[in-house]
Amino acid sequence: MSSDRQKPPAGSPACGYTDYTEGATPEAFPKTGEGATGIERAVWDALYAVDDPEMPVSVVDLGLIYNVFVEPIDTTDRSQNAPSNRAVIEMTLTYSGCPARELLTNDVKCAAETVPEIADAEIRLRYSPPWNVNMVTDDGRTALRKFGLSV
Amino acid sequence: MTGPISGPDELSKREQKALESLLFRLADDEFVLAERYTEWQIYAPTLESDLALANIAQDEFGHARLWYDLLGELGYTEPDLIWERPPEQWQHSTLVELSFPDGGWADTIVRGYLYDTAEQLRLEALADSSYLPLADRIEKVLLEERYHRQHAGNWLERLASGEGHDRVVAAVERLFPHAMSLFAPGPHEDNITEFGFRSESLQELRRAWLDTVIPTLDSLSVPAPEPAEVVRPDATGRDGSHTDDWFELYDAFTHTYTELENPTPVRLRGEGA
Repeated sequence: MSSDRQKPPAGSPACGYTDYTEGATPEAFPKTGEGATGIERAVWDALYAVDDPEMPVSVVDLGLIYNVFVEPIDTTDRSQNAPSNRAVIEMTLTYSGCPARELLTNDVKCAAETVPEIADAEIRLRYSPPWNVNMVTDDGRTALRKFGLSV
Repeated sequence: MTGPISGPDELSKREQKALESLLFRLADDEFVLAERYTEWQIYAPTLESDLALANIAQDEFGHARLWYDLLGELGYTEPDLIWERPPEQWQHSTLVELSFPDGGWADTIVRGYLYDTAEQLRLEALADSSYLPLADRIEKVLLEERYHRQHAGNWLERLASGEGHDRVVAAVERLFPHAMSLFAPGPHEDNITEFGFRSESLQELRRAWLDTVIPTLDSLSVPAPEPAEVVRPDATGRDGSHTDDWFELYDAFTHTYTELENPTPVRLRGEGA
């Protein structure tokens, strides 16, 4: 894994994401963890290790990860050494009938929970903006080409 | 019209009832049609069409799952929604439940064409739904449905312009009345549009559907019934009334679940961790 993360792929659609509050700014999807630091960085690194079930390409390079949030959790009842954060991961699927949905979301959850500071990870599936092949990163394209796909 | 609703917590009781009725129709139509498509495995007339129908079935199951997921967020479990829901509570149109015992490739194509055309119009009318978790999923589904319409349209043309013409004519005659039930309003219809869950009424969607379907059939020299004169089947599906075909299908797809005495699937290693 390279520590120098690439930018979101060129030509990937920017979603005019609106939460219907003032000052909403458009967000570009997918995310690649570029610029992430600390625990969030560690979660991204863990997600880079999860491959798509069909192809040897990471779910991040495939463009499936839309957001990673890390938030502290209440640890008053726990021992001092227990991990004290939870991760929320927003991700999508390449198509809605994906039969590996549970397998894949479970792999992502388990990967995030390998980060020592993370006690628990929650996966939220989202379908907007719809995934398309432009969301694959340059590294992802290289991996897919090596696998024999023309992208 | 209500403002945008971003999740289940923001729904009033009346809104939730209307939304549920819309979602049950959507999900049940897709699920039952997918069940019927899977019956074509190994029977389709070419390897290509066998694969195509398998793929379409998979998409429709996937779409059903998207809509059932939204019902899940409203408190329903998968057994509530599918495996243990009494058959007379299902709200799909009778069009999607019919079996075609004598082979019926033309029936399958005609049903696909009539359904997919209606489906596109319905989804487009949901794209700006005031219920945002629903609206967010529409673009993805519309992209996938495009291939279904291409498949049905291509085959319809091939059959109708060759020796399958008479079979297409017979299939249209048989299926058209059931297709009309796609637009049969339910008790929450007015609320569904009033709350902005769907931007067009079923009546408007029906008009748009007829404006697409009838000229297409005309162009293939397939007589289209006069909508006002169509004798409606006793069962519409929408109110839980169904044909015998449905009850047989229901017994078939719930058979394993029932036989295993309502199994709880083994969990994946991270689930519930």
